Amino acid sequence: MTRTKLFTFAAIIVAGTFSVGAPLLAHHSAAMFDPSKSTEVTGTVKELQWTNPHIWIQVNVDKAGAAGTKEEWSFEGGSPNSLSRSGWKKTSFVPGQKVTIRFNPMRDGTHAGQFVAAKFEDGTTLGRWQ
Amino acid sequence: MTRKAIRSLGVGMTTLALVALIAPAVGHAQQPKFESLPDWSGIWQMQGGTVFDAATMTPKGVGTGTPNAREFPPYTPEFEKLYLENIKKVADGTFPDPVNTCGTPHGWPRAVNLPDVYEFVVRPEQTWILGENGPAIVRIYTDGRKHPDAEELWPTYTGDSVGHWEGDTLVFDTVSSKGWLVDKDVIVDRTGLILSEQLHTVTRIKKIDDMTLELQMTLDDPKALKAPWTITKRYRKAPAGTRAYDYGCAENNRNPIAPSGKTLTLGPDGKPIDKDTN
Repeated sequence: MTRTKLFTFAAIIVAGTFSVGAPLLAHHSAAMFDPSKSTEVTGTVKELQWTNPHIWIQVNVDKAGAAGTKEEWSFEGGSPNSLSRSGWKKTSFVPGQKVTIRFNPMRDGTHAGQFVAAKFEDGTTLGRWQ
Repeated sequence: MTRKAIRSLGVGMTTLALVALIAPAVGHAQQPKFESLPDWSGIWQMQGGTVFDAATMTPKGVGTGTPNAREFPPYTPEFEKLYLENIKKVADGTFPDPVNTCGTPHGWPRAVNLPDVYEFVVRPEQTWILGENGPAIVRIYTDGRKHPDAEELWPTYTGDSVGHWEGDTLVFDTVSSKGWLVDKDVIVDRTGLILSEQLHTVTRIKKIDDMTLELQMTLDDPKALKAPWTITKRYRKAPAGTRAYDYGCAENNRNPIAPSGKTLTLGPDGKPIDKDTN
C-alpha cells in the first residue's frame, strides 16, 4: 500500500469508526477512563504489547518527588489489526526509548490510561498529538 | 429436565410459531450462476461507529459508551424498561459487554455492527459476512433452502439466515437468534440496546457505488418491538491490498469483568490495578 493510500484509509477509519470523540477502544467499556481529561507523562518505554484485543504500552516513569524511583504506567490503545492499517508497526515503541504519552487517565488515579498520542525525542508524534 | 432446558424448549416453541409465520417468504429462489453475482471483494469498514441506529440517537454524534446515550427503537414497555436499566449500568460502569468474555459470537444483528473490518464472500450457494472483530461469521444460504423446521432450530448467537438475489441485491431472512433474554449474552450495541429471541429480520445489501456497500434491515420482534424498525448501515471499501487479521481476543485480555459487571483493568502482572475491584 502506498503511503498516500495508507493515510487515506487511516483517515477513513478516523472519520468512520472513531469519529466525534468516540472512544478509540472497541473491545470493552471505557468507563474506567475519563475522556474529559487529557494528561501527559514522560518516561522510558519498557514494552509494547502488540496483542489483541488491545495493544498496551508499558512505560517507566520517574516517581514524583523521589528521584531514581520508577513507577510503571500502562497505556491501552486499539487493536493491532486496526492500528497496523493506520500506519502503526510492532516497532512503533521500542524498549529504552524516551517518550511523552498523552492519555485519558483512569478515574481512580491508577497509573494507567487510554492512549491518545505520543511524542518522541526526535519530535515525531503518533496519534492525536495536535 | 433442567430449568435451562425448559427455557430453551419455550424459546423453541416460540421459534416454531415464528418460522411458521415467515416460511412462505423465504426459500423460493433458485441458486444463481456465479457470473451473475456482484463483486463485493476486498476489505470493508463500517461507517459511523457502532451506534446501531444513528438516526434516532441522542445525544447526536457520540459513541456508544457515552453515559446516557441511547437510541429510540419502537420498544414495548417491557423492553424500554430493560433498556433504561442497561443505560443506567452503562453510566455507572457496570454494564458487562458480552464481548469481554472473548469467546462467544457477537451474535445477530451485532455481527453487522462491529468496529475493525469486514469481508463479504459471495458465492452462488452462500454468502459469508466475515467480521474481523469476532467471532462474527454470518452464513447466508442462497441455494433455495428454507429455514430448518422448528424441531431442528434452537436459539443460536447468530441465528439462521436464508436468502436470495434480486439483481445485485442480496435479500435475506434471519430467525432463531438468541437475543438478550435467553442468557443475557447478546447485545446490539454498547448503549445497552437489546432484542429478544423472537427477532425476525429482513436484510438487503447492495453496492450503491464502487466504494460503498449499503445494508438496510427491517426488524420485527413481537416481544421487544411494538412496530417494525428499519435501520441502515454503510461499509466503505479499503484500498486494494489491505488485509484483515486474526482477532485473538483472549490473547491478552487485560479487561475482564468483575462479578458486579464492572470492567477491570489488569496490570502487566495480570492483577487488577483498579482501586475498587468490586
